[in-house]
Amino acid sequence: MRGISRRTLLQRTMGASAVLGSGLWAPGVAGADDDLTKRCGVPLPLPHTTAGPFGPLHFYFPGPIDGSLAPTDATGVHPEGRDPSTITNFEGLVGNVDLEFSGTARDTKTGAKAPYTFHTDSRFMIGDFIASDQKRHKGAFAFL
Amino acid sequence: MGPHSYDPGTAPSLLLWTIEIPEGSVHVDLHAGEATLDLHNVCSLFDAFTVPNSLNPLHPLGLVSGFMKSLRIEWSGIKSMLSFNNHSTFRGDFVETSARIELSINSPASKPPFTPAPEDGFEFEADPATTITNFAQIGHENNGSLF
Repeated sequence: MRGISRRTLLQRTMGASAVLGSGLWAPGVAGADDDLTKRCGVPLPLPHTTAGPFGPLHFYFPGPIDGSLAPTDATGVHPEGRDPSTITNFEGLVGNVDLEFSGTARDTKTGAKAPYTFHTDSRFMIGDFIASDQKRHKGAFAFL
Repeated sequence: MGPHSYDPGTAPSLLLWTIEIPEGSVHVDLHAGEATLDLHNVCSLFDAFTVPNSLNPLHPLGLVSGFMKSLRIEWSGIKSMLSFNNHSTFRGDFVETSARIELSINSPASKPPFTPAPEDGFEFEADPATTITNFAQIGHENNGSLF
């Protein structure tokens, strides 16, 4: 959920290079399935990478799975297909969206309200996957 | 109110902006072209303020926890159907749809060293009627070693 467009920003900054990512990973914080208590492995990222401002990003922009040109994906066509999952070694159901939407924002200190617009590329994945422990698991995930 | 950008961060495995969620938070009826993603009280999110700041390992604009009170995305209305198979790593059968989003999210007030300067708290409530679908799809796929 971004107050400014993720896609636009990545396009503007593509070509720069540096080391990617120091974000935190908190599996199961949003909830856990029974399988999680038995799992030591973690889901692995899609091998495909899109150039990002600080290094490669393991995902495709949204668009048709046949990899054809799409206004939501400025990186062009993908003859190998445009896999919407961010997880590799995966079999299951996937949904993704590229949406723009508005609403009301509020400054919690002043109480001031103002219209605010977000852009999002959000996804779900639910099914089976081979984790880093090389074992098959069931799980559900959200790309937010 | 300045920019706000929410994501779960990047995992050590380089899995991007992806968190595990309860299986019951997803419902799919592919034949009807309908699905819902329904999340509540997600605190494993950051407000990174901008996407470049999220991806920059130094996070020069700071990094604070965000709180997603609720998120509901609904897919519906089949526009087209598409099957694809690259015969080695990815195959899928998807339907393109429209979508609608409901979101209630907030960030706490912050101050140095969490942000370069003090920032007031931020709350946002989406109006689902404003949703513009640039692209939406649901489907079944196989990839990697489960191709």
